[in-house]
Amino acid sequence: MWSPFCAAIRSVVCAGAFTVGAIAALASPLSGQEPREIVDRVDQLLRGESSRGVVEMEVVSSHWERTRTMRIWSLGTEYALIRIVSPKKDAGTATLKAGDEIWNYLPRVDRAIKIPTSLMSSSWMGSHFTNDDLVKEHRLIDDYAIETSYEGLRGTIAVWELDLTPLPEAPVIWERILYQVRKRDFMPVWAKFYDERNALVRTLHWSEYRTMGGRLVPTILTVIPADQPEERTEIRYLELEFDVGLEESFFSLRFLREQAD
Amino acid sequence: MRATPWRRIGWRNLGRNRRRTLFTLGGLAISYTAVVVMAGLGRGMVAEMVGNGTGLFSGQIQIHAAEYLPERSLYSTIGGRSGLNVAATLAAVEADPSVDAAAPRVYAGGLVSSGEATVAAGFVGVDLALEPKVSTLLESGLRGRHPRSGRNELWIGQEMARQLRVEPDDEIVLVAAAADGSLGNDLFQVAGIFSTGIADVDRSLALVPIDALQTLVALEPDRIHEVAVRLADPWEAPPTAVRLSAALGSGVLDSEVQPWTELYPEIVQYAELFISVEWLLIAIVFVIAVFGVANTMLMATFERRREFALLRALGATPRTVLRLVFTEAVLLGGVSLICGMMITFPILVWWQHSPPDMSWLYGGFTMAGGLVRPTLRVEYPGAIVFTAAIALFATALLAATFPAIRSSRVAPAETLMGR
Amino acid sequence: MSVHVSILTRLALRNLRRQTRRSLLSGLAMVVGLALLAFSRALAAGAHEDWIEAGVRLSGGHVTVEAPHFHARKTLSYRISGDELRAVNDALSTAGLAADVRSSAVRLEIQGLASTAVSAAPVTVLGVQPGSERDFSHLAERLINGRYLAENDRLHAYIGEKLAERLGLGIDSRLILTAQDAEGEISGQLTRVAGIFRTGIPEVDERRVEIPIGMAREWLGADGSATSVALLLGSSDRVQDVVARLDHELSSRDADLEVLTWREASPGLDAAIRMDDFGDWVFHSITLVVVALAVVNTILMSVLYRVREFGVVRALGLTRTETGVQVLIEGLLLSVASGLLGIALGLALTWIFFRDGLDYSFLLEEGFRAAGTIMEPIVRPRFHVSQLIGSLAFVFGIGILASAYPAFRATRIEVADAMKFEA
Repeated sequence: MWSPFCAAIRSVVCAGAFTVGAIAALASPLSGQEPREIVDRVDQLLRGESSRGVVEMEVVSSHWERTRTMRIWSLGTEYALIRIVSPKKDAGTATLKAGDEIWNYLPRVDRAIKIPTSLMSSSWMGSHFTNDDLVKEHRLIDDYAIETSYEGLRGTIAVWELDLTPLPEAPVIWERILYQVRKRDFMPVWAKFYDERNALVRTLHWSEYRTMGGRLVPTILTVIPADQPEERTEIRYLELEFDVGLEESFFSLRFLREQAD
Repeated sequence: MRATPWRRIGWRNLGRNRRRTLFTLGGLAISYTAVVVMAGLGRGMVAEMVGNGTGLFSGQIQIHAAEYLPERSLYSTIGGRSGLNVAATLAAVEADPSVDAAAPRVYAGGLVSSGEATVAAGFVGVDLALEPKVSTLLESGLRGRHPRSGRNELWIGQEMARQLRVEPDDEIVLVAAAADGSLGNDLFQVAGIFSTGIADVDRSLALVPIDALQTLVALEPDRIHEVAVRLADPWEAPPTAVRLSAALGSGVLDSEVQPWTELYPEIVQYAELFISVEWLLIAIVFVIAVFGVANTMLMATFERRREFALLRALGATPRTVLRLVFTEAVLLGGVSLICGMMITFPILVWWQHSPPDMSWLYGGFTMAGGLVRPTLRVEYPGAIVFTAAIALFATALLAATFPAIRSSRVAPAETLMGR
Repeated sequence: MSVHVSILTRLALRNLRRQTRRSLLSGLAMVVGLALLAFSRALAAGAHEDWIEAGVRLSGGHVTVEAPHFHARKTLSYRISGDELRAVNDALSTAGLAADVRSSAVRLEIQGLASTAVSAAPVTVLGVQPGSERDFSHLAERLINGRYLAENDRLHAYIGEKLAERLGLGIDSRLILTAQDAEGEISGQLTRVAGIFRTGIPEVDERRVEIPIGMAREWLGADGSATSVALLLGSSDRVQDVVARLDHELSSRDADLEVLTWREASPGLDAAIRMDDFGDWVFHSITLVVVALAVVNTILMSVLYRVREFGVVRALGLTRTETGVQVLIEGLLLSVASGLLGIALGLALTWIFFRDGLDYSFLLEEGFRAAGTIMEPIVRPRFHVSQLIGSLAFVFGIGILASAYPAFRATRIEVADAMKFEA
């Protein structure tokens, strides 16, 4: 169930990859691209490499607001580890993604709990992401037919707007995705996700494109659920490093419990 | 002619052949008993089902915030975010004459984990002192003991215990999304394991002391999702719900009061089906009785044909003879009814208080979500006591019709001369 | 004594004939009682069988063949291989079993998650052969929108109304199914909603998703295999026989499979049926008692009124025993004859008027649901040899019981007193 939405998460989890595309884009500025290639480029940005970073996640729901600071480690698309640093109540809580499994480590009870399949589609840490969003690894170009619906200026910025519809047998839930990508640097701007009845379900916004750890990345990502427009989850990068030499063994249950910050 | 002499003659006739009268009377009385006791058993079965269906957990009336069902959002507590004066609300509910007891509840969804095994669960926060007055879930223990108030202890269903491979006194982890956006989690001790026989409940429900659950999901003590109400008579639920709704309307904003008849319409339907069978019952039993009674009456009147002939010879009209026989039938019916009632009511009272247990013949079983024990429990069957009484008289009269007509047509002269 | 018995029988017969009206009336109580009893037992048995059948159609059939442990674990690690499936089919085509098995359905069942853009819900996915499943579950008849699965379908799904509501699904909507495949990996599959059904049973309308078995196998990497073969029998009475024979046939073919009865496979349905049984048992016990009393009463009366007559017979030289035997024979003849007539009449009337079912829908607003089944508001009566034998035994029992006391009384009659008795 790969989607830019998942990519969005991975832009948190595996943010390092953005740079590859950014560099490629700079090396050969493109125009009149095949839409598939554009998406693949952006997609490619999100793959491979190891990274380490610090992000802030602010969740605004109609009942509460909460801002968490988290440390993040990632290796490719297979592995990620997220550990909450603050606030105090949540500190030490960690999530490990290894393949298609998700484990939550709870310091208060000193246990790691695997999320059962039946709860994969429920919210991750109270945010507007689901556990599933963390897990899915398919690439957009494998699941969607892509057409360019608009190419040109939006405001002062040259963009592509891409229209993604699922391939006949692709196991994806969205009926349609609209996706805006900056021509200049292949940075994603927004993505809109539509359901069966062609109603908007969620919108992602990327912003604050800055160089971090030597690479250009969108440092803010916002998710807005269409049925609750006053709610949102916003992720902000504070620190980011790439190629930090993590091993697969780092992403194990033992480390989930033992690692100090 | 006044009725009195006929009644006296009728009495005397009934008394003249005691054994015959006794047999007929016995037949009618037993028919009556059979119908009423069987209807009582039917009602008993329905009551058992309704009582268990609603008494196991749901209660006969539930009070929620108006928007609570069907989503059951953690935030939709009664009285909204500002909470509720729980004690005052319970007192207001219990002030209603039909209400036996009321108890507050908090619901949350989450995970229960032990070792490698993790399952999704529904947590129910219950007041350990009040809950047993409303539901029987805390009585359905299999092993262990009740959780204690204020402690991180809980009760889980048998199937959940099996999946988690835990026994009483084992520690398990509870995880639930909390109302403040955090991930509530804590260690709990399994105090005991319950078994209701209802697969869904035994698999997915965990009972937690209400204060412990409120702490886990970061709800203040005055925020609850439900007030469950127990009534002395489940069938009083709809009117009581209306009264409670009016009583709470002023104090508790936006609450919804629902009787079990609204929450579980399928139980109502089943009860109605069951009760509709009573008519079939009356028909079968009394149709059989008609023939039995007709037979004896025919014999009795045949035997007395000389007497009728004599009456005719003394100036009685056929109408009078007809009346005589019918009076007898009515008297017979009346005495049978009294006897029937004398047999029936002690059985009803006895079986109501200590129903004979038939589980040696049949194990327990669940029905429409309620556990039913195979006991011969009876409920007082109400109107059928009268319906069956009317049927009894109708039977006696119907059975008397043919003998009466025959008797009234006795030819006086020939009969008196002998054959 | 044998000579005597025939004479006594003749005497008894003559007595019955002589008092035609009395005999008729005594007999009538019995005829009516037994006719009603036969009727209500046939209906109860019919309702019972209908209920069982409705229940097993929606679950695993009267008899279910599964791999060992599947029933408890419900994962694809415990499935029926292609070879074993062939063994099952071979076993089913043997003459003995083919006669009992009315219909069979091969299914690949897996617990999974159904998701859409709106939401996600846990479901039970059944990979089915649309052709045989249509006849088996009758779920196709519960269609409210779209169509049932067809033989050549691939990506189609047949889902319940509640699930459709919860996930915001309409006809042709995308529905993603996720489950653990045969290798234990999580695997997703796109389906499109072909049809939506409503049974009114919450657990079915909310949880059941049917897809073509071919696609289920492809998706889950379970080529050629299945998790269960459900068998529908002509009658639930044949269950034990079929289980025994199938067990034997399967082990002779070296297929290590488990054969479950519907009582083992669907405990909820079993409980409901047992409750119904109990209700029937109570009902029939009481009805029997009433019928028995009516019969005893009438026979008793007919004998007790003939004291004088017995006196005469005694005076003519019959011994006490012979008088008693004559009464016994008379009672037996009367009760057996009228009992048989009653049973025959009851069955005949039931057959003539209610062969096509007694419609009690006027009692119910809509179809009635309980314990995971839909009750049709039409009961088809069911006739069974055991019912007949039971009724016959009852008739004889009552005949003997009803005649024993009068016979005993007849032996105690003193000739002199009897002759004085004025009839």
